[in-house]
Amino acid sequence: MQKLGNFLLVGLCSLCLVQAQGQTIQFEKYTLPNGLKIILHEDHSAPVVAVTALYHVGSKNEDTARTGFAHFFEHLLFEGTDNIKRGEFEKYVSGAGGYSNANTTQDRTFYYELFPSNQVDLGLWLESERMMHAKVEQVGVNTQREVVKEEKRQRIDNRPYGSFITEVLKRAYKVHPYRWFTIGSLEHLNAAKLEEFVKFYKTYYVPNNCVLSIAGDINIPELKKKIEAYFGPIAKGTIPMNRPSIKEPPLGGEVRDVIYDNIQLPGVFQAYRAPKQGGNEYYAFNVLSNILSGGESSRMNKSLVDNKQLAAAAQSVPFFNEDDGLFISLAIANMGVNIDTLEKNMDSVINEFKNSLVGEREFQKVKNQITTEMVNSKATMAGIAESLANNEVYFGDANLINTELEKYNKVTRQDVLNVAKKYLNKDNRVVLYYLPKEKPTAK
Amino acid sequence: MKKLIYITLFILPLFAVAQNIDRTKSPLPGKAPLIQVADPVKFTLANGLQVFVVKNTKLPRVSATLALDIDGIKEGEKAGLADLAGQLLKRGTEKKSKAELDEAVEYLGGSLATSSRYASVSSLKNNFPKLMDLLSEVILHPALSSEELEKLRTQTISAIEASKDEPDAIAGNVVNKLVYGANHAYGEITTVKTVTAVKVEDVKNYVKNYWIPNNAYLIFVGDIEPAAAKALAEKNFSSWAKGTYTRPKYEKPAIPATSYIAIVDRPASVQSVVSVASTVNLTKGSPNDIPSIVMNNILGGGSSGRLFLNLREKHGFTYGAYSSIRPDYQIGFFKAESSVRNEKTDSAIQEILNELNTIRNSKVGDTELSQIKNYLAGGFARSLEDPATIANFALSIAVNHLPADYYQKYLTTLAAVNASKVQEVATALLNPAKMHIVIIGNAKQIAKGLEKYGPVKYFDIEGNEMAAPVEAKVDLSLTPAALMEKAIAAVGSKEALDNLKDVQLKGTASVMGQSLEMKQTILVPGNSVTTMSMGGMAIMRQAVVDGKYSVSQQGQEAPMTDDLKEGLDESAFLAPEQLYLAKGYGLKIIGGDKVGGKEVIDVEVTTPSKKLSHRFYDAKTFLLLKTSKSEEVPGRGTMTQQQFYNAYQTVNGIQIPSEMIIDMGQMKINVKYTDIKVNQGLKITDLK
Repeated sequence: MQKLGNFLLVGLCSLCLVQAQGQTIQFEKYTLPNGLKIILHEDHSAPVVAVTALYHVGSKNEDTARTGFAHFFEHLLFEGTDNIKRGEFEKYVSGAGGYSNANTTQDRTFYYELFPSNQVDLGLWLESERMMHAKVEQVGVNTQREVVKEEKRQRIDNRPYGSFITEVLKRAYKVHPYRWFTIGSLEHLNAAKLEEFVKFYKTYYVPNNCVLSIAGDINIPELKKKIEAYFGPIAKGTIPMNRPSIKEPPLGGEVRDVIYDNIQLPGVFQAYRAPKQGGNEYYAFNVLSNILSGGESSRMNKSLVDNKQLAAAAQSVPFFNEDDGLFISLAIANMGVNIDTLEKNMDSVINEFKNSLVGEREFQKVKNQITTEMVNSKATMAGIAESLANNEVYFGDANLINTELEKYNKVTRQDVLNVAKKYLNKDNRVVLYYLPKEKPTAK
Repeated sequence: MKKLIYITLFILPLFAVAQNIDRTKSPLPGKAPLIQVADPVKFTLANGLQVFVVKNTKLPRVSATLALDIDGIKEGEKAGLADLAGQLLKRGTEKKSKAELDEAVEYLGGSLATSSRYASVSSLKNNFPKLMDLLSEVILHPALSSEELEKLRTQTISAIEASKDEPDAIAGNVVNKLVYGANHAYGEITTVKTVTAVKVEDVKNYVKNYWIPNNAYLIFVGDIEPAAAKALAEKNFSSWAKGTYTRPKYEKPAIPATSYIAIVDRPASVQSVVSVASTVNLTKGSPNDIPSIVMNNILGGGSSGRLFLNLREKHGFTYGAYSSIRPDYQIGFFKAESSVRNEKTDSAIQEILNELNTIRNSKVGDTELSQIKNYLAGGFARSLEDPATIANFALSIAVNHLPADYYQKYLTTLAAVNASKVQEVATALLNPAKMHIVIIGNAKQIAKGLEKYGPVKYFDIEGNEMAAPVEAKVDLSLTPAALMEKAIAAVGSKEALDNLKDVQLKGTASVMGQSLEMKQTILVPGNSVTTMSMGGMAIMRQAVVDGKYSVSQQGQEAPMTDDLKEGLDESAFLAPEQLYLAKGYGLKIIGGDKVGGKEVIDVEVTTPSKKLSHRFYDAKTFLLLKTSKSEEVPGRGTMTQQQFYNAYQTVNGIQIPSEMIIDMGQMKINVKYTDIKVNQGLKITDLK
């Protein structure tokens, strides 16, 4: 009886996997003569619109002597344009009841505005101004340098463990430009001349390197005419872009180091070299990551945090990119816990994956969690616009938003065992210990 | 029958946009969209549980939230009870352990959360009925076990201990206590003492008394038919027994006759947290409600608010300055706040009061007003993207007894707010002459000159009034060397000190709720080993043995510096003053001060490596009561470490510190030595 119950439950859940896919995101995709790709998704369920522009430039496109440029532009391009006075970009947005922001990864830079839907034209104007003739001037460069300095202080230097990505990257990669983090080097930014910033802008902030993705309460035929009017006149970029095609060689043995930081509790950060995003192994890794730290009943939370109370927090972070990525497992020790003991216990949680198949019920649990996540990711217009643009830029397949769940469904327990065996090995990882900086003061 | 009301978004609607764009100007907005604020389907179960259903089929998911209409419960000596009870609800049921419950929820790809007044579940629609079963199990049959309560209690106490050193947390507590008073539920402060007083029986009673259906709302949002929601509500909650609840009513807190300054002295502060606060007569749905939101946003609602522009952009006192206003059925609340550099405390208070006066005394300009109104209207429209917003509206209407069309009329009401109305609400609600001006900061550096705002009073971190710190009048006629001699004599006679060969101290160090073993051994001359360990494992060890220096944490050796060496040398003395006199340290008497109510003499010590520290000696007994050392830490400002010597024990005629508090700002270590042995005949080999 009990068995039958369980069996039925599994049956029901595979059914819900299939049904959840029914949530198709319809979209229209086309390209302007100047190379600008446009993706439009119409949804009238709320009077809102997300206007987004994704530029295919991230820190990996930077000159090795000018790191931090891509992220710097994320700030610089709010400074103003030929028609928008310095400092007024944000005023236009908030005065229209909107919200705007941007973010930069190692692969791309993403700008977005959220508006009540009758302000969609304002979004087109702001984004086309930014692409057509942003002001790249010394005064703006100087201002934003200070802002980026503060940002680095706040987000990296002053935040406990905030430097871990930077520290991991420079040890995990030796030749690939992923070896530096997006914030880059302040010295490089200080040394750069204005004409270098102008050249970067003219190289990468061009229609043929951008996806304009708009989702929400829009009228597609009308909007297309306006897009043509605002973006059509922008000239195609002609300067060659730096697209590195470097294959990072294997790590060749475990790398270990200690970082002293402004923290109270020691931490362990293990970063395993991992495949690039999009393939079967990538999906298997995401399943594995959910088993490790997706929710209260996940293995790391149950074992390290709840049962043994070794860790105040424990998490796995899939850090996947266009090129080969990382899989990070981290834990912050509870007060008084020996850091070696903590690491040994993290290792044994990882090693379980290599020694035996994940149990069927646990595997199903994680698939169910992922199915829910996939549905939730379609809850906001901003989220939909970003997914469509990311999928188009990374895989040339905006429609992946509708088919990605199938890729997860194909992952088997054996696939999880295989990636664990192939990648989660000592000689394939960087281990950092974070220890409190303040040295104990003798009485 | 679903009723839709169409209303217009008031952002200046305009005519169709011409195809030939003029990019030198920002485009005008299109025709205002229709904002649809739907009414949820409503029904009530026989036991009084009110159910709302907001159907939204956009995604195949459903959530259900149970919300209690309770607030302002006085917890008194058990403050924190409601929060503990709320968290304990989801830590196991009569049938399932915490782990089993977590797994059951997550197997369904769902989530379940509980707090003192809310409980909610969500999942994809297929699994939703099972999540509802779990919600009902958690609410009707929770385990409320004492084991789980103890785990929670430990975590809560750690968090309270940590927050004792956080100026923002202190400000929050003290402002509430002063504005509402100790007799009002909103003025209560959760402390280690009150959390310790909570028993599992109290939690059970709380759940029994307050988690009752006839004072609760069950709100479904998502892809569910009202009929299906009704069936689920009845299946899971019709057996829930009714109870009784009366909304408590408190006397309105007294408004101060004049503004006054309340200082919580925090000597380690390099910034003052300044709050200017008062109660306001403001309830949700009253004529002043929406105008007060506009007024507050003009005054201090973010980076375009006047407080921000004045205190940060114009004067550079601070990184941010904001205000908030909150309507409430008991009594509303207003606060303007900013964290400012010590030396700008007075000026910051002046500028905050100036802004309060300005918004009362002059009309806001048209551009500023319309910018803020557009911003608020846009935020309202954007909030509707989340279907839960509609449910929140319905709940707010019910618990605040608002007119049924309150949110449907929100934008119309907002559009009608004009400059006169803004000035009118500012005048009615804000009275700069009757404010609680609360400062958490370094009293010695900031208090001077504040009398011009009103009487200056002092409070502890729990908002109890205390005497003003008095400038200690102590005899400062001693030379530094004579003072050192007296300090040495206070520790022990020359004979007693000369006879001292070895000392061994054993005890505990408690840090954030955890207890560690602490041991210090001194072997004359010049050897000392201090270890902190847990379960026999060394966490920290610092030693000077045979002239070899070593400091390690968690088995990691720290790089040795002159500074550390000096500290280790000192640790080999019970009276390090002997060292200061012998080795040519710099000594300077700074003045009188107070430590723990005792008058002390403050001496600055400069080590050979030019590090500064302060030592505070009891002006009567000359025993050491406190040391303090400050260091610049890049990116974090000045970090101060203080060490308090709270008790001494006399062994063989020598005063040995037996209780100490090491205060590192964010972390405090309480050291207690319970086992003190002197002259056991230890050898250097015993130290390794």
